[in-house]
Amino acid sequence: MDKKTRDDLLKLFQSKLNEAMRFYLETCTRCGVCTEACHVHASMGQVRYIAAYRSEIVRRLYKKYFKGRGKFWPSVGEAKELSEIALDELFDAAYSCTGCRRCMVYCPFGIDTQQLMSIAKLLLIGANTEPEILTLLADTSIEKGKSLELFKEGFLEGIKRLEADVLEKWQTEAGTTAIPVDVEGADLLYVALAGAHSIIPAAAVFNAAGENWALSFFEAVNFGAFVGDPTKTKLILDRIVNEAKRLKIKEVCICECGTAYRVMKQLAGKQPFKVSAITEVHARYLKEGRIKVDKSKLNGAVTYHDPCQIARNAGVIDEPRYILQHLTDNFRELTDDPRYNWCCGGGGGLVAMGEDTLDFRMKSSKVKVDQVKATGANILATACENCHTQLSNLNDHYDMGVNVQFLSSLVADALVR
Amino acid sequence: METLYYIILVPMVYVAFGVFFIGTAIRLIKIFREPKHPTTLQIFPEKKPKWLWALSDTFLLPTVRKHKPVLWVFLILFHVGILLLIIGHLELFGEFEIFQIIPHEVFLGKGFVGLIVSISLLYLLFRRFKSPVRELSVPEDYYLLVLLFLIVIFGSQMDWARRWYEYGELDVEHYRMYLSSLLHFQPELPYEITDTGHSFMLVLHVFFANLFLMFFPFSQSMHSFLSLPMNKLRRGFVYGQENT
Repeated sequence: MDKKTRDDLLKLFQSKLNEAMRFYLETCTRCGVCTEACHVHASMGQVRYIAAYRSEIVRRLYKKYFKGRGKFWPSVGEAKELSEIALDELFDAAYSCTGCRRCMVYCPFGIDTQQLMSIAKLLLIGANTEPEILTLLADTSIEKGKSLELFKEGFLEGIKRLEADVLEKWQTEAGTTAIPVDVEGADLLYVALAGAHSIIPAAAVFNAAGENWALSFFEAVNFGAFVGDPTKTKLILDRIVNEAKRLKIKEVCICECGTAYRVMKQLAGKQPFKVSAITEVHARYLKEGRIKVDKSKLNGAVTYHDPCQIARNAGVIDEPRYILQHLTDNFRELTDDPRYNWCCGGGGGLVAMGEDTLDFRMKSSKVKVDQVKATGANILATACENCHTQLSNLNDHYDMGVNVQFLSSLVADALVR
Repeated sequence: METLYYIILVPMVYVAFGVFFIGTAIRLIKIFREPKHPTTLQIFPEKKPKWLWALSDTFLLPTVRKHKPVLWVFLILFHVGILLLIIGHLELFGEFEIFQIIPHEVFLGKGFVGLIVSISLLYLLFRRFKSPVRELSVPEDYYLLVLLFLIVIFGSQMDWARRWYEYGELDVEHYRMYLSSLLHFQPELPYEITDTGHSFMLVLHVFFANLFLMFFPFSQSMHSFLSLPMNKLRRGFVYGQENT
């Protein structure tokens, strides 16, 4: 690696150094309490998948270039030079970490491995060695924000085709639009994913609740966050923020996508609208009696997988349970304490990287499979696209014999007048 | 030999404390003046009041107790022991009424505090020889533990000699004479400090303690100051917002 490249990468490193990051980089005592925290380590056993080990990969560079020690006594902390090999290690650490932050629950100090891995991800982008597919997807999202007019026609046509399916689930009064788009003054803006499964059930529930809503032009998922690019994350986020402001929306409701929800909820800053997960909105409709559901629609035991970015990392924990109380009498928890739920193994962009990561995703999530099997449930509900894909892959790979379902679909299917 | 003793017991002590206080202050100022993290770093579910839970996380180490109970016992013994040893050393400067709430003879703990801390340190050191902590550890972790062990064993040895073996030549009065002379910048080395049977132990104790103090600001020992602010972040404190 030439000096220019290294200096540029170190500038990127420097840009991530805020107070919290300094805490995380200075403090680890390598006590090993986090050993059992990571699902990858628990499933595969290699030391390099322990949270402290991953963090140390980043920390060794910090000790080399950002601590005085790195100049005259580098060996004391095993400070390491930023080289091609170091980049390989960063890739291995960052893209085997799903950013679930389960290790943060174990750490006596609360070191956030996801934050430290965001340094690794940014350095990989700087060195052009990040997973290309993620950057490509992020760029597509940004492009769509820039030239909405080009996409608008096709989008509206596609939506029209879905309306019949929505009406099949919930018949609205004649003259109302099943999937309203671009409605100024709507109370709620629903940000979905590109896929009928993310739109149809949600639309049926909104219509059943008599919500004054509109569907966003943009898909919720933030590939910028997956690839760890702060600028792209912000650009992708801003598309939705601007749309909500333009339409004078009161509440932005994010579909079942963990990253999208956490990014919008925590990164958008102070906005004139509030941010909710669709799970929160559905729980509210039930509480207010705006929708009614029929318990007899679900047969067998149901368990619920808390998506890390929605539950442990953003606090939507009671709402899905409240919904499930209305859907079944046979609900079984995966863990006693939601903080300790195993990650599905698909976060951090791993699912978005598709087949490339499939083998790793299957091997690294053995503990999740065991956890689901232990409940004996035959329906596995969740509220995140990534989790749903990963859990479905696990279901096939390990022959788990469960029915993986979106929580919102269960609600839509159980709607009664 | 006399000169070496003098260097370790007087100028090196001043340098060590200087590096410790100034180094720690500068490093903390540098860290706390960095821009704050713009978003929450909280782990849910939330428990209130946040500050109380952050204090509990910092001082009672509940996650260690849950996942590594044996480690937790030794960590608590070690940290409480260190606190008692610091109090003990303050009492070697002079009388502190506040520490005599529970009346005791200086050095407090009848020699057992040092013993417990030594054993805890051995545990903390030896557990690093075993996988996976072995693979996680870096030299710094071993240096610190070995250094602390040497400090505590030589320091305790002087206490043990007085308490358990009726060795009376080197007494609390002599330590007070030496330490308060340092404090008043009129260094004085009483005969008992430099020329009795246990002077050798004292010099080694001070020497290793000096090394530790000088390394402290640049090592992971800084967790003593950073643990609380970090735990506050995990409990949901966000800069610029009301945090209850």
